Amino acid sequence: MSRLFQFVRQWKPIIKEGFSQSFLIAKFLCLLHVTNTHVCTPVLVYGPSMLPTLNLTGDVVLVEHLSQKFGKVGPRHVVVVRSPENPRKTVTKRIVAVEGESVTFLVEPALSDRSHTVVVPRGHVWIQGDNIYSSRDSRQFGPVPYGLILGKAFWRVWPPDGFGSL
Amino acid sequence: MSLQVFRHWIPTVKDAFDRTLMVAKFFCGLHVTNTFLCTCALAMGPSMLPTLNLTGSLVLVERLSIRFGKMASGEVVLIRSPEEPRKVVIKRIVGVEGDAVGNEEATAVVPKGHIWIEGDNKHNSRDSRQFGPVPYGLLEGRVFWVMWPPEDFGSVGRKVENNSLESSAGCQKT
Repeated sequence: MSRLFQFVRQWKPIIKEGFSQSFLIAKFLCLLHVTNTHVCTPVLVYGPSMLPTLNLTGDVVLVEHLSQKFGKVGPRHVVVVRSPENPRKTVTKRIVAVEGESVTFLVEPALSDRSHTVVVPRGHVWIQGDNIYSSRDSRQFGPVPYGLILGKAFWRVWPPDGFGSL
Repeated sequence: MSLQVFRHWIPTVKDAFDRTLMVAKFFCGLHVTNTFLCTCALAMGPSMLPTLNLTGSLVLVERLSIRFGKMASGEVVLIRSPEEPRKVVIKRIVGVEGDAVGNEEATAVVPKGHIWIEGDNKHNSRDSRQFGPVPYGLLEGRVFWVMWPPEDFGSVGRKVENNSLESSAGCQKT
């Protein structure tokens, strides 16, 4: 019994130290998470749908979350959006039109000149990739509710020769 | 002389700073709990009668189910409105992706990544019958418990409670 007490007394300061360090790390991660979710976060984007604005093989962009909370996200902005087809995926596209505006787009630009006009309903936005030949966007899945917009991409951090505002 | 005054206030400022930091840490923890675990919501309006009150029900919403796995048909959920992005509404999931929803007159298949929501009060509810299927990404949480009013205190189940019009006044709890 006394051996057990001795053992505990030996380990107590180490356990206490371990706890306080873990708390410190937890508090830091908490602050990092709140910043990432509500202020600004870096995002790796890849794929051909936003050429030539964004690279095929991967760019790191800074995405800020404040504009979409205050409703200041609008046409010509590159936004990160939760995909309406796969809720676990996020896609990066450009807003072409907001609610109330009418959009005329080529249904299949590589195959024909047929175009279609749609009025964007209330509470929705129309997103398109800059590379209309290789982009799955509102032309396929329709206008996207504003509530799915996660943030606005405003600055490219990597690659270094692309460093600068979008 | 001004330096003396300054030195006099230092412990008070330090104390105020420490207390503010403690309050901030508490709110941070509360916010993380509200966003990722469980939160309260005040539900108002006629669209979810008889499950929820017209004048206001306080409900508990859990946020784990929507992240870990798909929501099933019949759950009452908190969802961001596709028409007004600042508004959050409470409706019931009637169909998930792949389900066929509708009645004898018109049927639709819910597309991939979407859900079909309807209010329990079919006569006074603005839901998927008006604005179509809603992307799964707009889900905010699952309503699992009613806290207020006391007569409705209890879990929120997957089936709409039977409330036949011929019965006496008030809801019948199954």
